[in-house]
Amino acid sequence: MKSLWQPTLLAVCLTFAGCATTKQPTVALTGDIMVDAPNAIANGPPRDRVLWEYRLALAAMRQGKFDVAKQNLDDALLTLGGIYGKDADAKKARSYFHAEARKTFIGEPYERSMAYIYRGIIYWMDGEPDNARACFRSAEFEDSDAEQHQYAGDWVLPEYLDGLITKKLGGDGSDAFKRAQADSRGVRLPPYNLKANVIFFIEFGPGPTKFATGQYKEELRFSTTPSPVTSAELKVGSLQIPIAPTDDVDFQANTRGGRVMDHILGKKAVFKSATDTAGNVALIGGLTTAAVSNNRTAQEVGLGIALAGLISKVVSAATIPAADTRSWESLPRYLSFASIPLALGQHVVTVQFLDASGRVAANLTKTITLNITTTDRDKVVFVSDTSITPQTL
Amino acid sequence: MKSLLTKLTIPICTAAVLALASGCASSGIRNPSGVPVTHMNADEQGFVASTGVESQDLVMVTDKMARSILGIPQVANAPTPPTIVLDPVDNQTRFPINKEIFLTRIRAQLNIKASGKLIFLARAQMDTLEKERNRKREGQVTASSDPTVQEFKGADYFLTGTLQGMSTRTKAGTSDYILYNFHLIDARTSAIVWEDMAEIKKQGLEDAAYR
Repeated sequence: MKSLWQPTLLAVCLTFAGCATTKQPTVALTGDIMVDAPNAIANGPPRDRVLWEYRLALAAMRQGKFDVAKQNLDDALLTLGGIYGKDADAKKARSYFHAEARKTFIGEPYERSMAYIYRGIIYWMDGEPDNARACFRSAEFEDSDAEQHQYAGDWVLPEYLDGLITKKLGGDGSDAFKRAQADSRGVRLPPYNLKANVIFFIEFGPGPTKFATGQYKEELRFSTTPSPVTSAELKVGSLQIPIAPTDDVDFQANTRGGRVMDHILGKKAVFKSATDTAGNVALIGGLTTAAVSNNRTAQEVGLGIALAGLISKVVSAATIPAADTRSWESLPRYLSFASIPLALGQHVVTVQFLDASGRVAANLTKTITLNITTTDRDKVVFVSDTSITPQTL
Repeated sequence: MKSLLTKLTIPICTAAVLALASGCASSGIRNPSGVPVTHMNADEQGFVASTGVESQDLVMVTDKMARSILGIPQVANAPTPPTIVLDPVDNQTRFPINKEIFLTRIRAQLNIKASGKLIFLARAQMDTLEKERNRKREGQVTASSDPTVQEFKGADYFLTGTLQGMSTRTKAGTSDYILYNFHLIDARTSAIVWEDMAEIKKQGLEDAAYR
């Protein structure tokens, strides 16, 4: 018997030793994204780098630090744009014995689209509307592989802004406007106002996060906390503009449909279940045979079957079908937009956020002082219900 | 008993090795230690590639445009070198790019290969140039000619371009086609006196883990 368990032990050790990976760097979190994210980007696992860059960029935008946001989004989008072809980590993520989270994070399509939307906003701020339009087009493009065709490339705001920029640059934006209107699910979009030189991007509500369900957490799902804010209102002088959501990020997350990776994770789950069951049957059957039989040969065969069952159980335990739930959880639920013409000079803008019954959430009200110094370019203003206030732009 | 155990040892070890090989894809990692900095030519595709605008595209397109411009009668037969102002390229693709880089390289190529046949005007530096001229006019700095005379040249032609794209994404992968179009516009008549184009199409497919 001794000589039987020695190779068994060796086999198990070999299996685990082979699967052992070098220790991944971990970073201590303080809870302050402006501290944690740079630390994680510099010292954390490279596979999470893009996720932290997304998080840092958005937090920076909400604090008016657009240079920080630009730098991080540019780096993240470089990774996102160069993901084609073989990728060792992605290959591991597909293997039975590694988790999906092993792959380099680039996000689900709704997260990738949001990264492009934010970069587009900053390009527009910097006076590069055609590069902003390029980003809005890429945002639509990232969403263009939905399982059901009616949900492919159905972001409203990127399409609408594509048309607006095209029109501002002297082209015809009517096709993009029509597509945006068709995707807007009941919201009547305002016609393009070329005299409007101040562009407001407004976002509010908590966005979707990911969780895993299924026997082995192999099914990726999205959940969104009901938003306490469902609309906004913009005030400049005597002008008062109601702001309804044009895009629902939760809707975008949930309408992508099944992924190729879901199929792979499903196969992993079946493999894990099958090897576990086979292991149970072999273990019980083998041990029972060994225990009840008086024949030495039968006992040995029974032990051999039990050993095979044990190996099968080990293989099952090592199989990881869990879906990747790393999430850009700071995304908003709703996106919206307004554009108004304002004369040169200083203007104080107030943005109020309203709940479903139209009551103002006073603690979320933002005040922005705008200094419009040129008519050569649009003044682009980004306002989130979690932005700092007051801001001077 | 002993012979049976001996027989069992081989399949057990084989199973372990198989489990090791199939479960641990680490043996399949390419370049586990990374790749040292590699010097590449700007016109070759490196081991890092995307379906967007890359340096080899820039080199190919701008080389072609520079060669093409030199052959037109307005340049080849001009009694005096025509003056050209670069007008920003209009990027209509889905790729945000540094638009200046195309015209910068075309200008540099033309100045290198046909120095004297064309004169490019530094309109991007007009603020600096005007300040310097004003200093000369006010006597704050020396001048080698009469600073009150208007010597800033006007453009004979504007060189500009458009980048347009068509993109497709399906389960089979991503396809990006970009049409690079450049043209020379007569500043006096608005006539397009020269136009050329280049087309690049790229396709790629990301790992199934990202699909």
